[in-house]
Amino acid sequence: METLSKDKIQQGLSVLNGEMDGKLLTNLNSCVHCGLCADSCIYYRTEKNARYIPATKVDLVASIYRKYHTFTGKVWPGLVGARKLDENTINDMVDLLYGACTMCGRCTTHCSVGVDISYVVRKGREMLSNMGYVPKTLQSTVDAAIHTGNNMSITTNEFVDTLKWLEEDLQFEVNDKNANIPLDEPGKDMLYTLNPREPKFFPLSISAMAKIFYAANESWTLSTNMYDVTNYAYYSGNLKEAAIIAQRLHDEMENLQAQTCVLAECGHGSRAFRWEGPNYIHKNYPFDTITSVELLARYLKEGKIKVDPAKIDAKVTLHDPCNLVRSGGIWKEQRYILQQCVNDFTEMTPHGIDNLCCGGGGGQLAMSEYNERRMNIARLKADQITNTGAKIVATPCHNCVDQLTQINVTYKMGVQIKTLAEIVADALILDEK
Amino acid sequence: MDWTYWFALSALVICNIACIFHFFRLVGLGPPTDYSYRRGSVQKAVKYAFTRAMNPAKKESAFLHLPTYTAGILYHLGTFMGFFLFILALLRINPGKNTSLVLAAFLLISAISGAAILLKRILKKELIALSNPDDFISNILVTLFQLITALMLLDPSFLSAYFVITGILLLYMPVGKLKHTVYFFSARYHLGFFYGWRGVWPPK
Repeated sequence: METLSKDKIQQGLSVLNGEMDGKLLTNLNSCVHCGLCADSCIYYRTEKNARYIPATKVDLVASIYRKYHTFTGKVWPGLVGARKLDENTINDMVDLLYGACTMCGRCTTHCSVGVDISYVVRKGREMLSNMGYVPKTLQSTVDAAIHTGNNMSITTNEFVDTLKWLEEDLQFEVNDKNANIPLDEPGKDMLYTLNPREPKFFPLSISAMAKIFYAANESWTLSTNMYDVTNYAYYSGNLKEAAIIAQRLHDEMENLQAQTCVLAECGHGSRAFRWEGPNYIHKNYPFDTITSVELLARYLKEGKIKVDPAKIDAKVTLHDPCNLVRSGGIWKEQRYILQQCVNDFTEMTPHGIDNLCCGGGGGQLAMSEYNERRMNIARLKADQITNTGAKIVATPCHNCVDQLTQINVTYKMGVQIKTLAEIVADALILDEK
Repeated sequence: MDWTYWFALSALVICNIACIFHFFRLVGLGPPTDYSYRRGSVQKAVKYAFTRAMNPAKKESAFLHLPTYTAGILYHLGTFMGFFLFILALLRINPGKNTSLVLAAFLLISAISGAAILLKRILKKELIALSNPDDFISNILVTLFQLITALMLLDPSFLSAYFVITGILLLYMPVGKLKHTVYFFSARYHLGFFYGWRGVWPPK
């Protein structure tokens, strides 16, 4: 670790200085160290290490606040556990706030006081980001998005080629030469976004959604300029970079004059754009946002698409992405979709707002240095899935799909991982056009 | 009225001023702002945050740790009661012999609860790792406060000691973690705001 300059320390502390608001002040002063949040954390539950107790992570940030901003912390730091922002503290912060937290927020809902623990972790990450301590692996994902427009550095030619191939595939599948995947068409009702993992690794999930749009006769388009729904700067804690990414999608919505931005099946992406984005760029959006989960549920409710649950006869369970469910309030819609599309749907225990994180959130999938830890904590999710006896795990989040796919291999579970669009597309009944 | 009375009264004034400072600093920072489109009811969620979300059946921190949770509830009830009795003591109001006996019995139970929580903090290595001296001092002061309140109710000769211990507790309160007395309410409000804005709370 390079030597800390005074300037760098000040940049870190600025998060606790000028940017202080009521929520931050509250959360830095509320934790009573009861430790009862421990069992809500997948890291602690797996490793039983006191360092992983969520309150320890809160205290890392709060102890710095106490050192520089409270009377007791200044005159008698030992009394209240006030810590200087130095190399040791930063090492602990990087390891615990980046490497041992998915910011899933489960501890927050179970905290006996009501401390927003994942919010404090985000603030800690902001401090580290201000000082330049974002893990290189995570920062490279952000850099890719900033410099190339998508976090996988997919070139426009590569992207367009993939979509053209998928379009031909769609035409063949629906037996309609007019079926298309519209690109950069202005004035459409909906601009559909993607997680760049889709064109790169999971193109069939784009096919699935295109097939559904076709069946619903939707007015939609994709953008070749800005289609990336993800925002890894939300994970790194760099507010400026998060704002750049959010602003781009905002601008593309205006550029293409679309009315609604459809947020792909990506938990953090939908959160980062719908809920955090307007705050990153300090303004309301002049357009609506809808997650593809809400859209699929709406299509089914309104009868815009028809499905036959008999087409999927395997037992299906559902993994709830933390950012979509616990921090986004969307948990009924995916259940409605599965109840319509499959005959044998079973819940995990626990599920919904109380679901366990898969372990891939918080940027963990991008930070390979924590791979071993990530796959250890995934044992909880593997057990949850195994206990359902399901053969298909549906989840409306590509980060979760990635993590669940790795869990499937590591723990030899023999299940299929699918997005909701893939499930709906499998069950879809196409009318003759 | 001896010096201990005036010490306790002064401590109460100082404690209140400090707590009011914390409160007004919070209020001065303004309400939360959010540029995203609200999808739920903040008002209902804040109400939920203070009521049903506190239901022990809803929180792992409660239902997975029922003995600690119960001890914590009793401990807090004892503290609230202790402060109410402190005001009565300052006003020289005697609750009466029989009432004092009942109150003292409850305070004894709450003090034992506090001591049990302290013991747990000392014995569990995870909690020791998480704790700093303030955690122990805060617990010891509050537990002592409850004990001495019980003794004072049973035997008025403890009144001077009672005022001294209560005064020390009040002076310590705004500087250590006991100031969560103020921030607890704000934490629940912000939690309600966050989940209410996004339509997570109250659960549909």
